[in-house]
Amino acid sequence: MPATPSRLLVITAVLLGGLGGCATPPPASDPDAVADYKETNDPLEPTNRAIYAFNNALDTAILKPVAQGYRYVVPASVRGGIHNSLANLGSPVQFSNDVLEGKPRRAGDTTMRFLINTTAGVLGFFDVASDWGYPNHDSDFGMTMALWGIPAGPYLFLPVFGPSDPRDGIGLGVNAVMDPFTWVGQGAAVRALDWSRWVMNGIDQRERHLDDIDNIKKTALDPYATFRSLYRQHRTSQIDDARNDNRATIPVWFPQSATPGQVTYSPTASRN
Amino acid sequence: MLQRRNFMVVTTAWLLPASQWLIRPADAQGANDKASALIKSIGDQLVSVVNGPGGDRDKRARLTEIIDSGVDVDGVARFCLGRFWRTASADQQRRYMELFHQVLVNNITSKIGDYRGVRFQMGRTQRREDDAVVSTVVERPNNPPTNVDWIVSSPASDPKIIDVVAEGTSLRLTQRQDYASFLSHNNNNIDALINAMRQQVAEAG
Repeated sequence: MPATPSRLLVITAVLLGGLGGCATPPPASDPDAVADYKETNDPLEPTNRAIYAFNNALDTAILKPVAQGYRYVVPASVRGGIHNSLANLGSPVQFSNDVLEGKPRRAGDTTMRFLINTTAGVLGFFDVASDWGYPNHDSDFGMTMALWGIPAGPYLFLPVFGPSDPRDGIGLGVNAVMDPFTWVGQGAAVRALDWSRWVMNGIDQRERHLDDIDNIKKTALDPYATFRSLYRQHRTSQIDDARNDNRATIPVWFPQSATPGQVTYSPTASRN
Repeated sequence: MLQRRNFMVVTTAWLLPASQWLIRPADAQGANDKASALIKSIGDQLVSVVNGPGGDRDKRARLTEIIDSGVDVDGVARFCLGRFWRTASADQQRRYMELFHQVLVNNITSKIGDYRGVRFQMGRTQRREDDAVVSTVVERPNNPPTNVDWIVSSPASDPKIIDVVAEGTSLRLTQRQDYASFLSHNNNNIDALINAMRQQVAEAG
């Protein structure tokens, strides 16, 4: 079986389950410290910090310079277009998760976005759909499991992928399995396209966070803990946005809405 | 006559609580308007300084003024130290407070360059317990629009900003967890935190 990025991801997720290295819990005589330890929920902290250092080295040596070069060479408008195209390619996975989350209006938004942006938006380069009233939203299998009531579990720092938890780690793997592009076609050309999409995604994401990450590393006393806090807060907010998006499925053009006042669209859905 | 007066008293007595109940939403509305006005004013001032002329030194001084007028810096500082505020000595509290103020100003002024060309749009204002949450959308060139919520404490009497929540991430909570982690790796020694903050301020110049 040829190595494709998504298959490697599944293997990494399995292998990581075997890594050890635990933090020492504080003594029970110090209740405040115990409360902190529980709130932080990072029992693998020493291992996580080692992987964080590894990722940082990788980032400094490769990803950050590449992202800086990308920003320097490619004009902002083209970068935006590339980002939109990559997001458009993610639509099938996004749609599947909208459905699994039981969010028909979100699934509808994703479908309309895919149809409009693939055609009028020239293969996804222009995000026309947002202007036409179909804004983007986040949706992945980690969020789906959260809405199903599965807890996040302790903090995990994954090699290459960075901040995560068992739920999101499994989510990454399932997302890859769900992706039709993982299974469509064979041969060197398809594999090359698959890889370049993943690599491009990485560069795009890194470029978009160049300033933020620099700022955090400069201003935080413990950047590892700051990233941990930010990751969790951001995931919680994405999940809450999905959970609170309970727009009615009655179309807006339907003459008499059976449940007036139920059409609530949350403008806080984050745009990435 | 007496009966009529009794009737009046009874009706007024009935009306009083009712009227109070009626006034409440109006009060909340007033408080929300005040909170919203504060954010609009602070936001406009920040944008005009960031996009305006003048050197960094000049801008820094003006930003410090704006922060002092609109932000409950002492309250935020206490929140960020969490449980360690109680165990800190009066002297430690004073030194921490002073440094926190400088760190906050540095963190904001160091971003002036990144935020050139920034604009913001006001959104709705909601009540959350005793605070008001003012939603805005911040737009800066070459960046996707960001949802930023401003948390305003005691909006009716003395509105002050106590937190900024960008895309669901709270600035003060993140800072608190940063300090908590630093302290737990330094034997919960508040002086170590104060020294690290002093170092940060010195490096920022």
